Amino acid sequence: MVSLPPVLLIAFPLFFAFLAPLINMVSKKAVKYYTMAVLLLNTAISLIIFLNVLEHGVIYEELSGFYPPVGILLSVGYLGAILALLINALAPIVYLSYFGDAENSVKFSMIYMLVTASSTGIVITGDLFNMFVFFEITAVGSYGLVASMRTKKAYEGAFKYIVLGTIGSSFILLGIATIYGYLKTLNFYDIAARINTMPESARLMSFIFLIIGIGVEAELFPLNGWVPDAYEGASNRVAAFFSLGPSKAGIYAIARLLFTLVPLVKGFNLAMLLGLLTLVIGELAALRQKDPKRMLAYSSIGQMGLILVAFSMHSALAFTAAIFLMVSHALAKSLLFLGTRGYKEGVLRNPWVAGPIFIGVLSIIGMPPFPGFWGKWYLLVNMAQRGFWAVILLIIFAAIVEGVYYARFLHRGTEGEESKVLTRSEIAAITILALILVLVGMFPQYLYTPAVKAAAALMGGGP
Amino acid sequence: MTYELLVPIFIMSSALIAIGLYAVMSKKNILKIILAADIVETGVNILIVAMGYLPGGTAPIENGNYPLYVDPVPQALVLTAIVIGVSVTALALAVAMGYYRKTGTIELDKEGVMKW
Repeated sequence: MVSLPPVLLIAFPLFFAFLAPLINMVSKKAVKYYTMAVLLLNTAISLIIFLNVLEHGVIYEELSGFYPPVGILLSVGYLGAILALLINALAPIVYLSYFGDAENSVKFSMIYMLVTASSTGIVITGDLFNMFVFFEITAVGSYGLVASMRTKKAYEGAFKYIVLGTIGSSFILLGIATIYGYLKTLNFYDIAARINTMPESARLMSFIFLIIGIGVEAELFPLNGWVPDAYEGASNRVAAFFSLGPSKAGIYAIARLLFTLVPLVKGFNLAMLLGLLTLVIGELAALRQKDPKRMLAYSSIGQMGLILVAFSMHSALAFTAAIFLMVSHALAKSLLFLGTRGYKEGVLRNPWVAGPIFIGVLSIIGMPPFPGFWGKWYLLVNMAQRGFWAVILLIIFAAIVEGVYYARFLHRGTEGEESKVLTRSEIAAITILALILVLVGMFPQYLYTPAVKAAAALMGGGP
Repeated sequence: MTYELLVPIFIMSSALIAIGLYAVMSKKNILKIILAADIVETGVNILIVAMGYLPGGTAPIENGNYPLYVDPVPQALVLTAIVIGVSVTALALAVAMGYYRKTGTIELDKEGVMKW
């Protein structure tokens, strides 16, 4: 089988994104097809890299001829390969929803490719500062995507996001500086090998700085004030893209921090607390919302909290559960955001819209046989084995709240006369997403095997 | 030895970070918030440059005559961070202009950026 260097995943879209204005000068219509071709090329590369990792294990790549710990290292482990494939396979599907639009913007297509590349960069890098730079590219691109609607709400959401994002990145830098000040290295595995030589207080300090900084992007309480406003101000397609790209990259960075960079018992306890707070507050806030986009945004926050709780269980089974939850969230939330553009009474009278949306909702609330069910099931089994009954009760409470507001949401869509809002290409996109959800749910073993390997690798402190 | 020299710098950068954070959380004027976020960044950058300092060290350019030079990595990091900071500030100002055009004011309504 051919093997490809992982740097292509970042280099290709970066290169082609900046060529897009030239294509636009030749033909305005071609930009859409051009962007789609680039995204599909990236899907193919990420699939090949995923299969390579499954077959031969971790891929390391030193960039520009400097060897670690001096040079920048890319390392694609099992978790990185799963998430890179997830991001790059779903990006073209969400982009498909733009094909029905009359006008299209070259700026939008450029930023879309850039954010895809940088989100992928976060999950495949092996260098702390490199990760920071990719975080910033993702964040700056995301600010632009939110503001691109040019409404008052869009500007307000984008501004909140910019300010919290800037503060977050300052905290990431503080964390990096603390670690660098003691260890004089930025390489993940060099840090992991020597982190125990740092005094406990310094380790805790760098952990807190980093979790504050990354928590902004990973939508953790209390740093997620931007989430509902930015999601509300952004277009539905941008919100769909956020739930598969930047938020997944953010939660990956949290896993990397917890398991590889600064593994601390106190860190896991803090993450458990933050996760439960994020989950319960997110779900309760979602219950109060009338606007479907805001409701989905708060529901996203709740889901991220649940994923963080699964990480902080510090066990292989719970980590596998977290991977299922991430896949379910990326697929189902992008489906729901795409499917609820212009949501009003009667939208769900159309079976082609109702079918995928039902499937997405069922996966989010954890009904079998969808990936969300497998994630919650593995997680609850692991908690029951270890006697975390209070946490189980909280999770079940959150699931009930989730069920209530999603039932209300579906009920509203089925009332009244049939109304058509979505374009054909949007319906095609949500149908494909629903099909993937069904396939992953019916054949969980194809995700389970790499997920178990990823869990074992992270539990062992490796990539 | 280096540690004692750096104490005033640590105090200064912590003060800058604290002032910036306070202003971000308490102000409602968009320009003031952007300035405050910049102050936080400056505080962090000062801290990182100070981390690489060596007493008597020269600029990290290899020419053989000066065996003692300061750590170049923090300087490279700060250079990158400054460039990122400038572009984010420019973007924030562009968004502020858009907000002003839509609303005719540069005050955020509600309770500022930390409102959940």
